Amino acid sequence: MRTLTARRVIGACAMLLGVLFVVVVISLRMGAFPLSVRDIVATLFNGVLGRRERIPSEFALVVFGLRLPRIALGILVGAALSTAGAGFQALLRNPLADPYVLGVSSGAALGAILSLIFIPHVPGAIQAAAFVGAAATITAVYFLGRRGGQLDSATLLLAGIVAASFLSAGIMFLMTTLPGRDLRGMAFWLMGDLSSPPPTQNVRAWFVFLFVVFAIAAGAIYLTASDLNLILTGEKEAQHLGVNVHRVKLVVYISASLLTGLAVSVSGAIGYIGLLVPHAMRMLFGNDYRLLIPTSALGGAIAIVVADTLARTVVAPTELPVGAMTALAGAPVFIYLLRRRVR
Amino acid sequence: MVQVTLGGGELIRARRYRWLFLLVPALALSCGEAFAALQTANSSAGPQRLASHTVIDGVGRQVKIPANVDRIVSLAPNLTETLYALGLGERIVGDTNYCDVPPEAKAKPHVGAPVNPSIEAIVAQRPDLVFATTSINRPETVDALTRLGIPVYTTDPHTVRGMIDSFGRIADLVGAEKQGSALTASLNARLGALHARLATLPTIRVLFVVWLDPLITIGQNTFIADALQWAGAESVVVSQQNWPQLSFEEVVRLQPDYLVFAASHPGEGGVTAKGLRSQPVWKDLRAVQQGHVAIISDEIDRPDPGLIDAIEQLAHELHPDAFKPDAAPAGSSSKASRERVAFRAFGKKSEIAPQGLKPLMKGRWVMSDLKVRPPKDRLFSANYLRDDARLESGLTTRCCECAH
Repeated sequence: MRTLTARRVIGACAMLLGVLFVVVVISLRMGAFPLSVRDIVATLFNGVLGRRERIPSEFALVVFGLRLPRIALGILVGAALSTAGAGFQALLRNPLADPYVLGVSSGAALGAILSLIFIPHVPGAIQAAAFVGAAATITAVYFLGRRGGQLDSATLLLAGIVAASFLSAGIMFLMTTLPGRDLRGMAFWLMGDLSSPPPTQNVRAWFVFLFVVFAIAAGAIYLTASDLNLILTGEKEAQHLGVNVHRVKLVVYISASLLTGLAVSVSGAIGYIGLLVPHAMRMLFGNDYRLLIPTSALGGAIAIVVADTLARTVVAPTELPVGAMTALAGAPVFIYLLRRRVR
Repeated sequence: MVQVTLGGGELIRARRYRWLFLLVPALALSCGEAFAALQTANSSAGPQRLASHTVIDGVGRQVKIPANVDRIVSLAPNLTETLYALGLGERIVGDTNYCDVPPEAKAKPHVGAPVNPSIEAIVAQRPDLVFATTSINRPETVDALTRLGIPVYTTDPHTVRGMIDSFGRIADLVGAEKQGSALTASLNARLGALHARLATLPTIRVLFVVWLDPLITIGQNTFIADALQWAGAESVVVSQQNWPQLSFEEVVRLQPDYLVFAASHPGEGGVTAKGLRSQPVWKDLRAVQQGHVAIISDEIDRPDPGLIDAIEQLAHELHPDAFKPDAAPAGSSSKASRERVAFRAFGKKSEIAPQGLKPLMKGRWVMSDLKVRPPKDRLFSANYLRDDARLESGLTTRCCECAH
């Protein structure tokens, strides 16, 4: 394997950032409302310069009110899920691990459903309840997954899977027995959906809040990257090399769960991204977590923006849930990468 | 699968890259700047009308209605059909992929499916007012449009009368009061005529089949349950859930007098009485053996003016004798009829004359949420019949049926 240099990290990130930028511009261009690239560039340009009077009000509505928040949410969710996925794959030392493997999404979904039943029509209630559900699940799984006072990968994985199926059963029970009024949205939520509006009028503050939480949690995982590299060779070996294995696992567990909870509470359970993107990045850039974490974050952002653009446009004007699109488009891409590596 | 080949030297060097994650907050802040534009973009969106008024819609939200409503987007087939029935078809600038009645509706620009329309496509039509309904649209869609400054009026009818009232309100909102009162008056008159014919006749216990596999029927709060009552029938299943799933055993135990299907019901070539007679479990049902299968217009599924057609059709199927030329409308002075009038006036099941309801409640079997009306043979022995003219007459018919 080649030595990791600053140049390689920056080069890879810059390349992915470039791809992300192109994808964002294309995504801004696509949609039911016809806008040319020139319109978009002019709208963005005038928007950044603060010359709002020069933007036609409908352009502003479509670009700043609809497409940009949705793209930003997609970037956030994609980056969070992929980073969490990479973190869980290292923590559990299992290539099948994804952000939902420990039941976080089921806990969040149960919270969201309970909020729809008990406090419907309260803005932000679904997001808050989903996050509380995710946090409760994380805590429960943490205590179930310990052995001898320390997180044990195998026990944690089993505890998470059991928690996930138990909570899913609870969701099914509620969905089939309760009056069906507002649960229609739930089907979309369970498949992952970026079309829900932000819960507050202050969109800017909402996104700054989300990105700051993301930065803290993803940053914490990134700080453990070189330790994770060692843990992957074996926990004992890492311990001998001076890594505080228990602390690293705890940090990764909490941060990755927080990222998943954040993503799930704003967009529902979008599948595949957290599993496929880290593996795809491994195939492209290698196994080093110091490179894998930033590239996974950017790759996840790209994947979701692409998937959501497709979800908005393939059967336009109807919209598909983005979760359906990630699986539909993600699986073939992944198989291609897999076969290419084998050869 | 995951493997690492790293030397100790690189480990030390790796610490140098830790600054990289600082990029993320920087990215966050610059994104925030871009969204600063959003606030003002939102507030300045849409031309300001001079005179407008605020109304409360069907779900209790305040909706600001502009003075002139010239551009309407309808988010449900039944709303589209209602708007056409009110003569407002020309003002519709967008409807859903499913809007096919009347045929002209198919030519309007579509904004997507009712459950997940494209908000952008709606915005692109620059509507003055959007109509939505709780029976098919998601609250998220309504929220998203409201957030963008587009007024959305949501209807939420649970009864046939409530539905007709909502037509009147829709007409008032868009300044079509005359058409509105003409439409509601004619629909109410037709309901009145049906009521006059059916008031004294026995209520027929039906199973309304929404879906065959899995077997799904209607709950008591749906407008279909109320429509059945207007057609002189009632659902054998009483459930708080709108679309409860039913076990087949329950159907066998309930033995409904009639099965009712909508015409476009799933299944190869639709459902027929003959087809059901050759189906394993269905063929043993009393209603199927007697050929008591009513297949009525799809309009029964849509709360729009066509629903009244479907009710009339069902009434003809279930009570053919009442519509024979020599059948005079029943006198409205009988007790049963008075009970029905009270019931219609309030439009809610719980408002039936109390002593009529109580015995029925006792007879209901409670299975989790599913309450089920017991078959009439069970009612026979107990004191359920006290004061209940409707049930009494129901039993008489059953006996007549046995006779022939």
